[in-house]
Amino acid sequence: MSSTYDIIVIGGGHNGLVNAAYLARAGKKVLVLERRHVLGGAAVTEEIFPGFKFSVCSYVVSLLRPEIIRDLDLPRHGLEILPLDGTFTPMPNGGYLWRVNDHGKTRREIARHSRVDAEAYDEFGKAMVAMCRFVKPILAMTPPDPTTLDPRDLKRLMVLGRRFRALSSEEKYNLIQLMTMSAADFLDQWFETDVLKATMSASGIIGTFLGIRSPGTAYVLLHHYMGEIDGAFRAWGFSRGGTGAISNAIADAAREAGAEIRTQAGVAKILSRQGRATGVVLESGEEIRASVVSSSVDPNLTFLKFIEPAQLPSEFLEEVRRYKYRGSSGKVNLALDALPDFKCLPGAGAHLRGAISISPGIEYMERAYDDAKYGHFSRRPYIDIVIPSLTDPSVAPPGKHVLSCFVQYAPYKLAEGTWDDQREAFGDTVIETISEYAPNLKKIIRGRQVLTPLDLERDFGLTQGNIFQGELSLEQLFFLRPVPGWAAYRTPLKNLYMCGSATHPGGGIMGAPGRLASIAILKDWKLGRN
Amino acid sequence: MPAGQNVVIVGGGHNALVAAFYLARGGFKPLVLERRDVIGGAAVTEEFHPGFKGPTLAHTVGPLRADVARDMQLEKFGFELIRPDPRVFAPAPGGQALLFYDDHARTAESIAKFSPADARNYPEFARTLERIAQVFAQVVSITPPSIDHPSPDALWNLFKVGRGFRGLGKKEMFRLLRWGPMAVADLVAEFFETELLRAVIAARGIFGTAMGPWSAGSSAVLLLRSAADPHPVGSAAYPRGGMGALTRALAESAQRAGVEIRTESEVAEICVKDGEVSAVLLVDGTEIPATAVVSGADPQRTFLRMVDPVHFDPDFLMKVQHYRTSGTSAKINLALSGLPVFSALASADDPDAARQMLSGRIHIGPEIDYLERAFDASKYGEFSRAPYLDVTIPSIADPSLAPEGQHVMSVYMQYAPYKLKNGGWSAQREELAGVVLGTLAAYAPNLPRLVLATQTITPQDLEETYGLTGGHIFHGELALDQLFTMRPLLDWARYRTPIRGLFLCGSGTHPGSGLTGASGANAAREIIHDLR
Repeated sequence: MSSTYDIIVIGGGHNGLVNAAYLARAGKKVLVLERRHVLGGAAVTEEIFPGFKFSVCSYVVSLLRPEIIRDLDLPRHGLEILPLDGTFTPMPNGGYLWRVNDHGKTRREIARHSRVDAEAYDEFGKAMVAMCRFVKPILAMTPPDPTTLDPRDLKRLMVLGRRFRALSSEEKYNLIQLMTMSAADFLDQWFETDVLKATMSASGIIGTFLGIRSPGTAYVLLHHYMGEIDGAFRAWGFSRGGTGAISNAIADAAREAGAEIRTQAGVAKILSRQGRATGVVLESGEEIRASVVSSSVDPNLTFLKFIEPAQLPSEFLEEVRRYKYRGSSGKVNLALDALPDFKCLPGAGAHLRGAISISPGIEYMERAYDDAKYGHFSRRPYIDIVIPSLTDPSVAPPGKHVLSCFVQYAPYKLAEGTWDDQREAFGDTVIETISEYAPNLKKIIRGRQVLTPLDLERDFGLTQGNIFQGELSLEQLFFLRPVPGWAAYRTPLKNLYMCGSATHPGGGIMGAPGRLASIAILKDWKLGRN
Repeated sequence: MPAGQNVVIVGGGHNALVAAFYLARGGFKPLVLERRDVIGGAAVTEEFHPGFKGPTLAHTVGPLRADVARDMQLEKFGFELIRPDPRVFAPAPGGQALLFYDDHARTAESIAKFSPADARNYPEFARTLERIAQVFAQVVSITPPSIDHPSPDALWNLFKVGRGFRGLGKKEMFRLLRWGPMAVADLVAEFFETELLRAVIAARGIFGTAMGPWSAGSSAVLLLRSAADPHPVGSAAYPRGGMGALTRALAESAQRAGVEIRTESEVAEICVKDGEVSAVLLVDGTEIPATAVVSGADPQRTFLRMVDPVHFDPDFLMKVQHYRTSGTSAKINLALSGLPVFSALASADDPDAARQMLSGRIHIGPEIDYLERAFDASKYGEFSRAPYLDVTIPSIADPSLAPEGQHVMSVYMQYAPYKLKNGGWSAQREELAGVVLGTLAAYAPNLPRLVLATQTITPQDLEETYGLTGGHIFHGELALDQLFTMRPLLDWARYRTPIRGLFLCGSGTHPGSGLTGASGANAAREIIHDLR
């Protein structure tokens, strides 16, 4: 059977779906092909144990671009974001740090640890909001190529330059620091409380193989600060029904616009003729033709697995091979009979409704990284815990709970053994670590799912288990993402585009790559380049 | 000479002397005030044991920027540079060794014993570095532009740098952009598979910094240093007569140009009146009126210890306090009764050839992970038990430094953090020397028996004796956020300070790092511009 489409989108993750939705809305005949039986990629909800619905991989949302929510009218398609209030950090000495969205409360809480820090926290918040204002439009912008003299690229560079010039000296100072420093060094300038710095710096390492003292992590910190829900910066939330519900809403919008979506339709090969992509071959052998192929999977799969090397320039392939993934995190999802009880703040209080961060100190975080550098999972890892069932009871049976742990570091490449041998030991380490703060945890576990970087690669098609389809390090951002000279969603193969997290502005449930790629595709279409 | 200008230069290190020379040539009569009884700052030769003269701190020359060397005509003042070849000898624990020569083809032969693929890649890496270094050579010679109000001159300079950048071609332009923020471990892995080779080159990105090879931004340090010498492993060059011979020649050249130098003249305070410098006050109470003061000391020492804080905006002071200047290096100088025998060279038939191989730098740090683990210790306030060492035996090429048949060994040890977690440096000094000797003995087993005397210089000594705040040998961390327009601080990277008439010319200004005289020369250009 052979059928013809305008555009085939490879991968039904949130970016692939956003891409498809925009293209379908522009009147194109679009087909989305998803390898798994379920849509969403890493933004997926699955019922792993009967009655317990896990946001298996990605678990919170904040970065989803507001223009996408608006353009695709996602609330009408079922998207509902529930607030995730605050971050609770238990400490080994029996203390805790509990920051919430209520600014006054957080100030008083920080003042318990340090008055100076409470003062600085206000200033810090203001400074970061100013930074977010500067960086945010860059997230909605196709990166210019700084090495050409193409007037369009120059114009974009000049716009950036002008916006930078328009910042106050203080803002420039902060921005340059954020772009170059480590999260810990950056925060050291503002705060003195160890646990506060450790918890805040944690968002600087997510998805990277870097420690909080590695330069470049201050930018990732900002990247995560940029979350926006209902116009408020720095707000994170759950999606009702789990993160899969976001993907389902986008898929619904795409279908409504006329896109066709097929699951269990894994792509084996991208077809090309004379330097142009012409369609795909499925794992089943079925061939599907299209004028344009848009791939939301990572460059490793797109260029090294789906395409014959002879079809691509060798220098490009060299750069694709050089692109760094190095997954560094794992996920442990637990089905619970009851709520964990923290020694430092017993009971089922509001502190369980936010994020619970196991990040008691700077040295703890850095040592967790040291383990990973030499090929071991952290003996005492950084863990970001959420209990979405407290906010959204629909994801667990009545009275029961789901608890999701994002765990770093879990290096893809182990010095000894394989992840298949070490999966359970890794899961045990995570539970041991949390139990030090919430001793009842072991007794209330009804089921556990441990995802190692290897599982993320095998099950979700994330090369080396990198949750962002490639490290968010400075040399892999903006006009360097994923391949220098190919950061504008186009590829050396005509009519083949990239639209996943491996393109600017990168990972998180943001949708920006999918949208920006659709703009590139439609622009080329109009110019008759396809 | 511009009338009524009293220019006082604080400190007699190499950058201060270079700045003084150019100021004298510009018609001023600068007065250099050195705290110690010897000029030269961190580039001095001292007799640390009778008959043994060692490079107390720096043990190789940057080398000096070509225009500085030319302008100051140093050879007229007895300066002679010895350039050993091979530049670097890098033994591995297994008894093998890599040798890095001036000639890339010859180096490639040495590499081929480890990996033919690496031997093939080496010349390409060296060439790429050379081309990128040309762009950086322009960058280090300009004054960083003001971000808010770049002058036409600054824009022209930037345009020239931009043209140099474009001249690289697309592939290398992107390489430069990509490498800048990268970890040097990743950079070397893009070209080489041999751990030892990776480690020797990566070491250039971490020397004297609080970074390990896996720290992002360490590639930028490698690129910055390649501006002074594009050879992949950097320079190995000594002045005949020891490092002090360089600063002595600089001093004589400066004096000939009209500079006055006073030693044992410690500046206690830089006096400020109405936002403008008025004088310097020495510790002995002497007050020397000054219309301009140029500080060769590091930024923290200058701003936080020499000037009354009331003269600065509190915000400025806070930023100065945040300037990171926590050192990681220690220095051990050994007086040896003979030349140590390295296992990797023990089988050499010709003793002269073996001596020749040891005449440059000796790199100890066989793997990237070895270097990284050495760094790890320092993060938690401990010194490395298996340290990275950069060693020279300058007496091989320059027998005048030691009694006949005997030798001086100079060892840079990393990582020795300024702040130790348990106790101070005075309690751990002996242990540090022991660890260094033990580490070396693994490669040169007869070394411990040859040691006649040991001079140990901890980060604390670097601060107390040599005035390097935090014991940082480069006057402040060489991190991305403390380079170029941000060295030492954003908007204060043009050698000027918030106080009129007060300037900086030391390693804490752009470009910093190494004995190149670039900071001093750049500073003098700006100071002359302002004072005229």
